[in-house]
Amino acid sequence: MLVAQGIRKRFGGVLALDGVDVAIQPGQVSGLIGRNGSGKSTLFNCISGFLKPSAGQVRVDGRDISAYPPERIVACGVARTFQTPRVEPRATVGDAILCGFYTKGRSNWLSALAGLPRAVREERRLREAAFLLLERLGLAEFAHVEIGKLSMGRVRLVEVGRCLAAGSRFLLLDEPAAGLTREEQSVLAEQIRRVAADGAGVLLVEHNFDLIRALCRDVTVLDEGRVLYAGASAEVARDPRVVAAYLGTAAA
Amino acid sequence: MTLLRAHPNTLVAVALCACVILAVRSDPAWTDTAVLTGIDTLIALSAGLSFGQAGILSMAQGAFAALGAYAAALAAIRLGLPGAAGLALALAVPAAIGYALARALIRLSPLATALATLALGSLVDIVLRGWESLTGGYIGLAGIPGLGLINTPLGYLLLVCAMLCISVFGYENLMHSRHGRALNVIRHDRARARADGVDVNAVLSTALALSAAMAGSAGWVYAHYISYLGPDSLTTNTSIAALLTAVIGGAGYILGPVFGTVLFEALQRFLPAQEAQGLFYGGALVVILLVARQGLLGLAATSWRGRRRLRPVQAPASAAV
Repeated sequence: MLVAQGIRKRFGGVLALDGVDVAIQPGQVSGLIGRNGSGKSTLFNCISGFLKPSAGQVRVDGRDISAYPPERIVACGVARTFQTPRVEPRATVGDAILCGFYTKGRSNWLSALAGLPRAVREERRLREAAFLLLERLGLAEFAHVEIGKLSMGRVRLVEVGRCLAAGSRFLLLDEPAAGLTREEQSVLAEQIRRVAADGAGVLLVEHNFDLIRALCRDVTVLDEGRVLYAGASAEVARDPRVVAAYLGTAAA
Repeated sequence: MTLLRAHPNTLVAVALCACVILAVRSDPAWTDTAVLTGIDTLIALSAGLSFGQAGILSMAQGAFAALGAYAAALAAIRLGLPGAAGLALALAVPAAIGYALARALIRLSPLATALATLALGSLVDIVLRGWESLTGGYIGLAGIPGLGLINTPLGYLLLVCAMLCISVFGYENLMHSRHGRALNVIRHDRARARADGVDVNAVLSTALALSAAMAGSAGWVYAHYISYLGPDSLTTNTSIAALLTAVIGGAGYILGPVFGTVLFEALQRFLPAQEAQGLFYGGALVVILLVARQGLLGLAATSWRGRRRLRPVQAPASAAV
């Protein structure tokens, strides 16, 4: 279980996060919503180690990871995507997925340089695993296509795949459905459901209420760096504070 | 067979070396040119690894070569060590200094890192000139012994070609490993690499150490072949020429620096005026950066891919990643 407790983040005079609690349970998809600037991305960055929280703790299965650098947090089984996919458009889909397998490799530099059988075998194993993952995501036929030529929906799916490649137990997905067609959204939703069914915990930042309701049992609503609501996603739309702060402004 | 299929770059390098050896072996002047070109190619290849793959604009490749050369020369002259021990030192000393430099500085911006490598070049130059009791100062080190059995120009040519092919082989292996892929992700986007679980500082430092070792090995051959070493032998000019030829050939491609160096050495032979060469170098760089950011190999690859696109669309191959 991943628990973030009392996360506070100050940028100069701005308090971006003011004591936020959020938890990710294995096998469950939790939602995180909030208006732009409410602190969602800052919270993501604090959990994944890209920002150090000013106060508060992030624990994975009881281990405090708040002071770890991002690469060590990945090694603890916590992977993230970025709101704007950070991909090299000229790399192929297969290569991008392979990059996600970095922590799965054990070969050192010298055995890689010398092309020792050990390193060759490992490379073959990683490539096979990458291909299986692509098949699972329905991307196998795009293995040799440059990412820059894919639709945004597929790019985001590749990004999710890259997270899965690391064998992560906790996934932080930052608006994975933004800019996707309805069809692509349903493919993505299906994948996220499967990931959770396989035992991973997912924290999903999303603006799309339908998707949140379809995928998440629990949802946390942030507003100006504070938790406005935490509870069942079915009831979130009935909470007057949420309606005022979030849906109200969106509808106006 | 799989070994051959997995290493197209190595195959090209071996073929190129074989052609060069066959073409120049009976002419001492051309053999000499080929050995020196091979040494320059190794240094350019090391610049391709550090700049083209890791994205470190290193202007210390000449200094790394000088460190390797001096380490080997001193080991041979002062300690009477055999050539193999000298090679080990020529690999280890630049690698250690490159690693330490990168560890300390890589968190800086790319431009600051480039300036730091330039500073290392100046520092090495000052130490080589100033530490007279060890390095011979301005006068340098003369009478560096040759390398036993291979002590003929043709022997050195075979040696340089073997080193070049081994370096390309290792470089190619590296780029098909998780470390090579991590380097490319880092060059593109460090945050993305960290999200993949890559320790950016460690990977970049190791890459610069490898690149420094490659340059150091070039220095080792240089010292034994020329048999004289001074502070003006391998300098920042060497670094800049290596970077330039790597960029012109295509620093992101394994063989880019090789083609860049061969092309430039050939032009140097056939261009008339020595004084006009700097002008030509600069002009060529400007033109390359304007019309082909990926270098000549990049230009060739793009036009080849463009022509392929005109053909009927093939079903995407899904048999392998």
